Amino acid sequence: MVERGEPAGIRLEGVSATMQDRNRGEIIAVRNIDLEVRPGDLMTLLGPSGCGKTTTLRMIAGFQAPSSGRISIAGRDVTHVAANQRDIGFVFQNYALFPHLTIFGNVAYGLQVRSRSAGETGRAVAEALELVGLAGFGERLPNELSGGQQQRVALARAIVIRPRVLLFDEPLSNLDAKLRVSMRGEIRRLQQALEITTVYVTHDQEEAMAISDRIAVMESGRIVQLDGAEALYRRPASAFVAGFIGRANLLHATVASVSGDGVTLDIGGQKLLMRPPGAQAAGAAVRAVVRPEAIAIVSSNTGLTGVVRSRIYLGDKIEYEVAFGGQMLTIVRFNPAEDEGYLPGTTVFISIAPADVRLVD
Amino acid sequence: MAAARAWTRWRGASDPLRLFVVIVLAVLLALFVVYPLLELTGRALSDDRGFTLAPLIAAINSKSNLRAFADSLLLATLVGVCGTFFGFLFALTVERTQAPRFWIRLLDVATLLPLISPPFTTSIAFIFSFGPRGFITHDLLGINNATVYGLTSTLAAETLTYFPLAYMALRPMLAGIGGDLEEMAFSLGSSRWRVFRTVTLSLTVPGLANAFLLLFAASLADFATPLILAGNDFPVLPTEAYLQITGMFDLKGGAVLSLLLLVPAGIVYFLQRQVVGRRRYVTMTGKGRAGASQDSVAPLMGRILMGICLGIVLFILYLYALLLIASLVISFGANYSLTLAHYRVIFTEGLPAIEDTLIIALIGMPIGGLYGVVVGYLVARTEFIGRSAMEIVTMLNYALPGTIVGIAYLIAFNQPPILLTGTAAIVIACYVFRYSPTGIRTTIALLQQIDRSIEEASFSLGASSFMTFRRIMLPLIMPAFFAGLSVVFIRSMTAISATIFLVSINWTLITVRILENMTELSLGPAAAFSVFVIVVVIIVTAILNQVLRRLTAPGLRLPAVEG
Amino acid sequence: MTTSSMRRIASHGLSRRALLGSALATPFIARAAFAADTLNAYSIWPENYARPMMEAFEKASGIHVKFIRFSSGEALARVTAEKANPQIDVLFGGPIETFTAGQTQGIFDNYVPPAAADLPARFKDKSGAWTAIADDPLVFMTNTQFLKQNNLQAPASWDDLLNPAYKNMLQMADARTSGTAVTRIFSILQVHDRKEDEAFAYMKKLRQNVQVYTKSGGGGTLPVGLGQAGGGIFFIVDALFTRQQGYDVQISFPKEGIGSAAECIALVKGAKNPEAGKKLIDWATSPAMQSQLAPNKINFIPANPKVETEAGLAAILKGAKIIEIDDNWAGANRQRIVQRWIAEVLNAG
Repeated sequence: MVERGEPAGIRLEGVSATMQDRNRGEIIAVRNIDLEVRPGDLMTLLGPSGCGKTTTLRMIAGFQAPSSGRISIAGRDVTHVAANQRDIGFVFQNYALFPHLTIFGNVAYGLQVRSRSAGETGRAVAEALELVGLAGFGERLPNELSGGQQQRVALARAIVIRPRVLLFDEPLSNLDAKLRVSMRGEIRRLQQALEITTVYVTHDQEEAMAISDRIAVMESGRIVQLDGAEALYRRPASAFVAGFIGRANLLHATVASVSGDGVTLDIGGQKLLMRPPGAQAAGAAVRAVVRPEAIAIVSSNTGLTGVVRSRIYLGDKIEYEVAFGGQMLTIVRFNPAEDEGYLPGTTVFISIAPADVRLVD
Repeated sequence: MAAARAWTRWRGASDPLRLFVVIVLAVLLALFVVYPLLELTGRALSDDRGFTLAPLIAAINSKSNLRAFADSLLLATLVGVCGTFFGFLFALTVERTQAPRFWIRLLDVATLLPLISPPFTTSIAFIFSFGPRGFITHDLLGINNATVYGLTSTLAAETLTYFPLAYMALRPMLAGIGGDLEEMAFSLGSSRWRVFRTVTLSLTVPGLANAFLLLFAASLADFATPLILAGNDFPVLPTEAYLQITGMFDLKGGAVLSLLLLVPAGIVYFLQRQVVGRRRYVTMTGKGRAGASQDSVAPLMGRILMGICLGIVLFILYLYALLLIASLVISFGANYSLTLAHYRVIFTEGLPAIEDTLIIALIGMPIGGLYGVVVGYLVARTEFIGRSAMEIVTMLNYALPGTIVGIAYLIAFNQPPILLTGTAAIVIACYVFRYSPTGIRTTIALLQQIDRSIEEASFSLGASSFMTFRRIMLPLIMPAFFAGLSVVFIRSMTAISATIFLVSINWTLITVRILENMTELSLGPAAAFSVFVIVVVIIVTAILNQVLRRLTAPGLRLPAVEG
Repeated sequence: MTTSSMRRIASHGLSRRALLGSALATPFIARAAFAADTLNAYSIWPENYARPMMEAFEKASGIHVKFIRFSSGEALARVTAEKANPQIDVLFGGPIETFTAGQTQGIFDNYVPPAAADLPARFKDKSGAWTAIADDPLVFMTNTQFLKQNNLQAPASWDDLLNPAYKNMLQMADARTSGTAVTRIFSILQVHDRKEDEAFAYMKKLRQNVQVYTKSGGGGTLPVGLGQAGGGIFFIVDALFTRQQGYDVQISFPKEGIGSAAECIALVKGAKNPEAGKKLIDWATSPAMQSQLAPNKINFIPANPKVETEAGLAAILKGAKIIEIDDNWAGANRQRIVQRWIAEVLNAG
């Protein structure tokens, strides 16, 4: 085992980055972000492509220099330190295994760079391969392995050197769905067992939610919300976050009235109550977010009606598109009853708990 | 995003080793590429009073020079067209017909011969075959008084010599693209001819343009073939420049003529960069003919195409058979008794030339190979001030006709501060800086296949850039290194246009001896030398290929880049 | 290492081929010639003539000659280009026009060998810039089959070559690179009493029958031997060499007369081994070398009157009218005449 010491924190202060785009010239990829990753945490940078998450990751790694700002790892300013001196482990989207070296050679590489003895290297490599479930694969070549196996080798290669920081750049996006799910679990387990501070980049929100301690949602080069999974889901700061994490119905409404414990929203004539109240004034135009699974279709009259436009049976759930107040609602009903028959064209009553309505700007 | 990353340059913190290498390269390039050319221009454009354009203007005004210039352009254009046509024919036959493997291998081997041969081989055989008493014209066809000197034979000989370049450039193109489009067109009911016209041909246009420019440049620079075959009615610039210097001992005149050649050479070079851009390197898929539609050429047409190709191959083999016979008989044309005397001669009297050539080739080979790989890596993967300038300068000696480079070296290095005439160094330098660009371009092409992230992975694991280069990149670009080795070796054995000016008492080359033998009419030894060179080149490149096969990282495909 | 190179090492002392170390270092040394043991020369004589002579010289004197062969034009160009840093000591063989031209370039050192006393005036330069080692008349050479097919006799006059039967069937040397051509042109001038316009008119007519002007003097001999060409004008050495190789050719002389060119030798100015060079010149101008010509089947006429012309050669020359060309006049006007030839004859085609 390579000795490591205390887990390291990462801090970005006012970091910006520019990029050369072939068509548009120089663009600003990352705008003035502040980020702190607590020691031992797994922080995910989540967002659509082009949001700057990969650029941010590469700046932490040292592959790209920020155009302004400061980056520190374990309290040390590394903004101008070369990538090969930052003591990081990087796992690439396309694995980036050295095609001409065996699996052993690949994993041992970082140790050989650090001039470890052959015996020590052998032991560490064997241990790392064991950790990722590839014991005995040492003599194979990368092109003999499947995608999932290659990714595990990449992981082993990065952790064998016990870096202060582990960085993942969409490591699972080239794998099939089931493999993604099992691999992400393994990555998380390993990260927690080794207690290495990790920054993980992905565009898959489910993946982010499954493995992260905290998630930084990014859009257009900025961090729009930094929170745990549950907080992001329940209390999205913006329509963007709401739509990106999970699914959301975004409703345009006007404030009908404000009372002590709630706000009544007027949506195309229908009245929806929401709690707790915010700072809205009557008559204001607002946007409200309601999760599809938070909407129930009931038999009793709740005062809210809609017309079913489509019904899709998906086994564990049924999805409905319902016209409501001049807008479309997506409703998801899990574990549906066998005779649930809200067919397209039917008028139905829907029910939404006031606490499940959130205003976003 | 990942693909975009493969294009971006390494913008990491600066690196003392890299800086050092860049500076060393810059100095070498300044010394061996820029300085000679400046000296050449200086010598050409000056008189007793200093810099003047008068010699250039006089040269342009001279009718015979203009004629030579026009002839050069005409010949080059025709060679470009004909050579591209035949190259395309061959590529089409190989990639789109149902021809069995054996015939295809035969085509491959036969087209390799002109590329690895010493100069004059085609020319000698042409004279024997097509002269007034030529074997083909007189003996077979009964034509009396045929003339073998002039545009037609020069065109034919150069086309035969250079069309393999077009074939090598077009073949991977046809292999890799279009198959599915053609199939789609067929499924829509298009006739074969229409598909060919609208799909195949139009997809190949960039490749055809590239091949044309390649051949145009090669013909423009060809000094050896016109020397023998062009006769006095069809002067061309490289030969005129050579004769100006060696015949009229007019160094200035020769220098000026060389400068005239710079114009079309420069235009061609820039056109190539434009037309083809950086996507010149189509990777060979190595998937056999999976890219080709099975149906694109009708069987009958396929057989006709193969027939034409075989006819040409047969002709090429006939020319080389003549060479072999000439080396084994006492006096070709007079006395056909078999003898090994000529081979004895080349291994005794010719031994110094053989040793010199091999020593120079074997020294130049690794230097050229390493230089190609280092420059290719720096240009493709790193960022520093003057990178684009360096890229262009490295290509200069390659793009210019050999005559210019040879004369420039003769002028520049025959005087202080750098006195190199009479040494092997001047010949080696000429070879290295003139023929390494192939290695450079292959390295760049190979690097484009290797994703950035592999180097970044190495850096992230703590390796320095030197270690990354040595342990990761170098093994991966081994194929480019070997391609560079092989080209420098082949050219060292077969080149003449530049080095004819650089031989000396102490160092002489086989190709120059071949020329001398030919002018002394010792055809036997000339042919024996030629056969020797061809055999050596075949053996060495076969060895290099074997080593290469073992060393290529699995999964990487060697791009086809013309040599 | 081959046995021949080992032999060479044994007999010539230090050789670069012997040591790997020096082999690696030598590319970067300008190979300053080793004192007294070696001599560097450019030979205008073909390899197979020069080599036996150089080997004989080595046997006689112990000095090893390193030489490389160039045609006369190339040799002159090289020596002139190397003026500032001469690579050789001696220019060996080659027609006199080359040497007189070189004299005006100032590339030779004066040296009068002892044998010069025996030589007639046309075989030596007054100040000693060059000395003749052989004489070489021009001849007409024609292909026997060609003559038969066209019902012709071997040409016996300059005008015979204008016969339309020879159209596109003559080969002869190019004046831009070959001394043979210059000798030929001056012969024609001499035959026309130096009336230049007449002479050039003849040459323009002759041009019509010329298939190609060859780079080197003997370049056309093989085509004539093979029948690719019907005939040409060459030095007798080259013509006889062709016949010796077995090709069926005729040698004849024009009745109006034809010139010959002396083959010379000279010491290069600034030579690095002048003493050895002088020894070579001494040897070459004396019977010591020239008596070796005939045994080696080299068909030059020895310049030194003390050496007898070989019988067979003498027989061929019997009855031939060899006219004398004023070499001084030729040297002075070479440039101008050649330029005129290029402009009016070569480019007229």
